[in-house]
Amino acid sequence: MKALQLIKYGAIEDSLRINEVDKPSVKASDVLVEVKAAAINPIDKSIILGNLQGLLPIPIPSTSGYDVSGVVVEKGDEVSQLEVGDLVYARVPQDQMGTIAEFVAVDALAVSKKPGNISFEEAASIPLAGLTAKQSLDYVGLKENDKVLIHAGSGGVGSIAIQYAKAKGAFVYTTTSTTNVAWVKALGADRVIDYKTEDYKTIVHDADIVFDTLGKEYTMEAFSVVKSGGKVVSVVGPLDEDSAKAFGMAEYKLPEELSTVIKETGASYKFIFMHPNGSHLAEIKSLMEEEKIKPIIDKVYPFNESIEAFNHLASGRAKGKIIIKIN
Amino acid sequence: MEELILNIKSSIQLSAEAEEYLRTISKEKTVAKDSILIREGQSVNSIYFVKDGCLRSYCVDKKGKEHTLQFGIRNWWISDYIGIHNNEPAILTVECLKESKVIEFNAKKLNEIFEPFPEYEPFQRKLLERHVVSLHQRILNQLQLTASERYALFLEQYPDIEQYTHNYHIASYLGITQESLSRVRVEMAK
Repeated sequence: MKALQLIKYGAIEDSLRINEVDKPSVKASDVLVEVKAAAINPIDKSIILGNLQGLLPIPIPSTSGYDVSGVVVEKGDEVSQLEVGDLVYARVPQDQMGTIAEFVAVDALAVSKKPGNISFEEAASIPLAGLTAKQSLDYVGLKENDKVLIHAGSGGVGSIAIQYAKAKGAFVYTTTSTTNVAWVKALGADRVIDYKTEDYKTIVHDADIVFDTLGKEYTMEAFSVVKSGGKVVSVVGPLDEDSAKAFGMAEYKLPEELSTVIKETGASYKFIFMHPNGSHLAEIKSLMEEEKIKPIIDKVYPFNESIEAFNHLASGRAKGKIIIKIN
Repeated sequence: MEELILNIKSSIQLSAEAEEYLRTISKEKTVAKDSILIREGQSVNSIYFVKDGCLRSYCVDKKGKEHTLQFGIRNWWISDYIGIHNNEPAILTVECLKESKVIEFNAKKLNEIFEPFPEYEPFQRKLLERHVVSLHQRILNQLQLTASERYALFLEQYPDIEQYTHNYHIASYLGITQESLSRVRVEMAK
């Protein structure tokens, strides 16, 4: 089968090739998915550039891609919740990375039937970003009437987080640039803050939750807008100590500056590692079928233009997800 | 099965042997919500009579989106008749939208009923005529009526169905987008 492979770390044009490889083998707990569409994410670009070699060691060559939508064509003996013929979507586990290919084998627990009202291309755009948003906001117990600040409302995670938070009945502040204000407002955000003309720190006060998708100074600034006893959840900031220990870093200590501001505000801080989860995707499926969450696609590229797709991702100009159509 | 047999007998004289034949080629079942009874790509072996509940038949287009063909509610028959007629794999999927009681008939044997029991033919013909009338009416409505008018007729034909369907099931059945369905509902509520 054909697969888009990382053949070395480096610039996109030099590092990716469409190779002919063996179809993946299917374990008893796996399904084999005929890939209709795959989405590309910032993490894919980071891997290609070699920025994540320490955190995510992968063999070279490796097939790229984590997000997929397609059709189950084979299933392992232990799989009972899915059938051959099911239309599905998934964010595949790390050791099964490789969705930009004609087929991918995926642990069935990471897979859900896809929403029936959207295309394969639209479904492929959801898993990684949707799971990140849902798992983060669920962890901090987002509920109706909570005030939540979601940075980068036009980003892949931010745009789904806004919709998810609104589906939960929260009041949503978000930040974005001038050119994106209108369409981010259309996602349902209650107060869209144009960071080019407004300072969000003068607008957001006593937030119940801050969802940090920007990191760096924004992680610290979250504590100036969250209420006493509120919650800051991050997918890009420093690890919290419990998460670090779970990752095998027993000696890890929270940066002192962050530790101090946590104590001063009485707010909590948590780093979330997004994890594949078919049940969570099934919950997202229900919300999508009721159009409480809608996919946002920037562009669909054919398989043989995968490198162009990655270059477009690298440009930072995409409004929505970039999809590669496989079959 | 008794109610169906009585219904058949209200139209035709059904011999004891024909009645027994119908019983031997059928099975009553309770089907759980979200079950798949006929799956696209697989052979079509059954025709379903809905005693209670709701089934839905749909196709999936090349892009992966579902399009509802039919809702099978109480006293309706549902299957992939194209697959049966052409002896080809199903092009439709039939799923269960709420727990349903159905009678599952062996499709091949039901179609073979006419030779030993020609008296069954008028009943089958009337069923087919009812089905054709329904399809013609639906096409004519699609050509002539507004989305609001079609939605109003849909609610008359399928009262309570919105309790166990998704909006996109209904929108695709009516040939409109989900946004249009929302607008139609808002207008009707005024």
